Amino acid sequence: MSARRVREWPLAAGLSVPLFFVLAPFVWLLLSSLKSEMEIAVAAPFSMPDRLLFENYLDAWNIGGFGELVVNSLVNVALVVGLTLAVCAPAGYAFAKMQVPGGEAIFYVVLLGLTVPIQAIVIPLYKVLSALGLLNTLAGISLAQVGNGIPFGIFMMRSFFRGIPDELIEAAKIDGAGHATILLRILLPVAKPAILALVVISALSTWNDFFLPLVVLISPESQTLPLGLVRFASTYSTEHRLVFSGTVVSFLPVVVLYMLTQRRFTEGLTQGALKG
Amino acid sequence: MLKFMTAARAAASGLLAAAMVLFLAEAAAAQTLRMWGPEQLNDPEIAKLWNEIKADFEKRNPGVTVQYMQPTGTISNGAVQAAIQSDAGPDVLLTNSGIGRVGVVANAKLVQPLGAAYEKRGWKDRLHPWLYAELKRQFDGEIYEFPDGLDVIGLWYHKDVMTQKGWQVPQTYAQLLALFDEARKAGLQPLVVGPRNNASGGHLFGNLMQVTAGRDKVGEVVAGKRPWTDPAIVASAQRVIDLVERGALAKDMVALDLDAAARLFFTKRAAFMFAGPWFTSNARRAGYDLDKAGFMPLPVDPGQGESLPTGGVGWSWMVSAKSKQTDLALRWIDYIVSQEVMVKRATHASNWMVFPQALPGLQPSTPILKTIFDSANKGVGYNPSVYIPGNVVEAYLQAITGLVGGQVNAKDAMAGIQVQAERAARP
Amino acid sequence: MRTTTGTKADAVSSILFIGPALLIYGLFTLFPALDTLRLSATDATGLNSQANFVGLANFGALAADATVGRVLLQTAQWLVLHVVLAGGAGLAFAVAIASLARTHVFFRTAFFLPHVVSLAVVGVIWAKIYDPYFGLLNGALDAFGLGMLKLGWLSDPALVIFSVNVASSWQGFGIYMLLFVAGLQNIDNSLYEAAEIDGAGVWQRFRHVTIPGLREVMTFVVSLALINGLKGFATIWVMTQGGPFYRSELLTTYIVKLAFQFQEQGRAAALCVVLCALAMAITVAFNRWRESLR
Repeated sequence: MSARRVREWPLAAGLSVPLFFVLAPFVWLLLSSLKSEMEIAVAAPFSMPDRLLFENYLDAWNIGGFGELVVNSLVNVALVVGLTLAVCAPAGYAFAKMQVPGGEAIFYVVLLGLTVPIQAIVIPLYKVLSALGLLNTLAGISLAQVGNGIPFGIFMMRSFFRGIPDELIEAAKIDGAGHATILLRILLPVAKPAILALVVISALSTWNDFFLPLVVLISPESQTLPLGLVRFASTYSTEHRLVFSGTVVSFLPVVVLYMLTQRRFTEGLTQGALKG
Repeated sequence: MLKFMTAARAAASGLLAAAMVLFLAEAAAAQTLRMWGPEQLNDPEIAKLWNEIKADFEKRNPGVTVQYMQPTGTISNGAVQAAIQSDAGPDVLLTNSGIGRVGVVANAKLVQPLGAAYEKRGWKDRLHPWLYAELKRQFDGEIYEFPDGLDVIGLWYHKDVMTQKGWQVPQTYAQLLALFDEARKAGLQPLVVGPRNNASGGHLFGNLMQVTAGRDKVGEVVAGKRPWTDPAIVASAQRVIDLVERGALAKDMVALDLDAAARLFFTKRAAFMFAGPWFTSNARRAGYDLDKAGFMPLPVDPGQGESLPTGGVGWSWMVSAKSKQTDLALRWIDYIVSQEVMVKRATHASNWMVFPQALPGLQPSTPILKTIFDSANKGVGYNPSVYIPGNVVEAYLQAITGLVGGQVNAKDAMAGIQVQAERAARP
Repeated sequence: MRTTTGTKADAVSSILFIGPALLIYGLFTLFPALDTLRLSATDATGLNSQANFVGLANFGALAADATVGRVLLQTAQWLVLHVVLAGGAGLAFAVAIASLARTHVFFRTAFFLPHVVSLAVVGVIWAKIYDPYFGLLNGALDAFGLGMLKLGWLSDPALVIFSVNVASSWQGFGIYMLLFVAGLQNIDNSLYEAAEIDGAGVWQRFRHVTIPGLREVMTFVVSLALINGLKGFATIWVMTQGGPFYRSELLTTYIVKLAFQFQEQGRAAALCVVLCALAMAITVAFNRWRESLR
């Protein structure tokens, strides 16, 4: 660690000031989510709610149909995360440790995908999903999101596997292990932090994705959380108390996920993204 | 005991209904009518009304289930087109309309022509005659929508503030300007607008265009028959700049959206705001006492005829070209446009709509709505936002923020809109 | 059979290893991207309309469109701001919390929190923070007696990109911070000790040990920030719709307007091609430059 000669508490106290500003929007959001529509409409930003209206959360849940939305979002995230890992880990391994014919060229074609914003491909993508009968399905949106996430996933897994000494793999080969065995038995256990990092990154971006679901998920029963929040806004008026409480509901699960995995997650970033 | 009785009766009727459904399912195959809309279904009042409508329609059409799809967007942002194209799309749609938007889906052949239905099903007689004539004009005689509601946009003010300060309702534009000065001296924002990400800026400018250039010229401009650089239109743009320089509008209002602007109005920090009948819904949410609200058309310059609100078709019904049950969709519209349903909706507490047909003897739920409905009876002018193509709307709304924010002069602002209007006119 | 030089066996199994990823990537990203390239040479309008080949006409029209020039310039501003604000905040906080022991994890976790909020929601929240009459920011400035610092955050044309970028960077800096934290953990502590023995102060240690030690991670963060910056969309879309008077219009927002509001699919696709080409050029150029410094 760098120069741990600075005294802990003065620095921590000093850092609390920027932290306060960084977290202030959260405090404001939490407070607002407990206000009545009238208080939000007229009150000054710093005022405390008259009464803490926890029923905003119930209303957001019931009126917004959040039960179904949460289930859909969870299925969506599970599909994306599972599939991303299943295809990116072997591909990353192959690019890092195997003789792939034309490997470098293919790798750059994959990296190209990093630079393509979703807005640039949304219409052709819609047509592809339509042709495959995947519009308005969680499978369809998930496949599309995996497709978009693959460049980063492969890049990360490749970097991680490149950091693993060749000797380890050679030794396993001498013991008669094939590539599949090497990947599953030897490398994946070592790769846990990198995998966690990939899990968190792809889960985060899927959970919060708005643009693609907006175009692909048409009917209410197939929609995900971010679209649910739109239901509280209409042409000329928005029910803010529900938008705010719905927003809190929508990010609590990710906060929990992050808190649970954050130690390993940081490690994974170190090894995944930076080495290689 | 009573509770038990109710429960028992509910259960019995539930069973009966189930039995009936089973029985009728033999006769008529079960059908689901998917409807895009309505908006604000998260409002309990509105949900109650629409669930009654749904239940009634289902009762009259055994075997049919109506399913509401909460809109994720409009034609302007592509959500409607994406929905229609998918196999899970709606049969019938209720969405923001106006010729610009309807043109997009009509040209892409995403919605069905309804001209025949107007003749055969008597829809023609369910509209104000002037409205039918306007619709007939728009797509060379074919019609792709049935208007659900009209927008009627004018100036909202606080009656109580006016009385308290001893102010008179202005009869001319000059009087209004004088009142703006008074309001400013009294520490109020004279006029508020919220153009940041919606049509509120258009509400302001459309009215200014009408009082400056006159209703007919505005009609020609939005139809592409007169350029936006017409001196009368440039003069109306100059009026926005003058309002800012006078202190009637503030430059930083460019950062407000409709909600933020409405907040200034509802807290009585602002004296006037341009809005439509839908503003009653915002007012209810904000706890604003609607009995204190006043509404008037922006007064015209002398010699420009009568002062009218602006507006146009705000929302319309359309039938998806992908629908496999067109007849059912048409039957739904038959039902919706019937006098019975119109009156039911118009008298409902949640209502803020101005309906497309005359509803004699109608008692609106609030006095302010009566004022607005009455002002619409004389006809409404053009709210350009709903009459011009998408790219022109964009240039139009950006130009208005530029005018309010002092970023562009009147002539250049209008020239910018004209560029887009010419681009849209090209085949 | 399985030998270390089993190139042929490698080739076969590598196809199995890479195949699924390539299939999904090809179908749902690469093919649509190529289709966009094709559309850029047509006069396509709506989703299902007939399109005719028009060659490079769309690119010509873009070159003649005054808005495009402005949009390119503003996208560049946005990009630089994102790298400086989000990347800078990430670096600053990472360095600060790296020297903490007991509270390190607390700060690392807390500073990352904004990153879990979706950008669309960030837009909604920050638009309210910037509200000139009821907003948190101007209200706070008033409360601290700093009323003269109150600005038209979203209405001042010179300020609007900066303001929205702050919102977007607030959401974005967390991941960069974690990357820097990770990078700092890899710096050999003995380097700091040696520097200290040589009498180096805090700044000199930062300048001569920390910065060179972060070389790799910095390259990665800047590349990532450049790409993310170029893709900036949601906060602008929610907060300003490109206004006031086009002063916050970016490439991505203009593309969406062209495609959906203007019904000019061909021209939108052409601008997409420009955007992707820029993204590639910037990434490649940046990495070349980094390499040349070695």
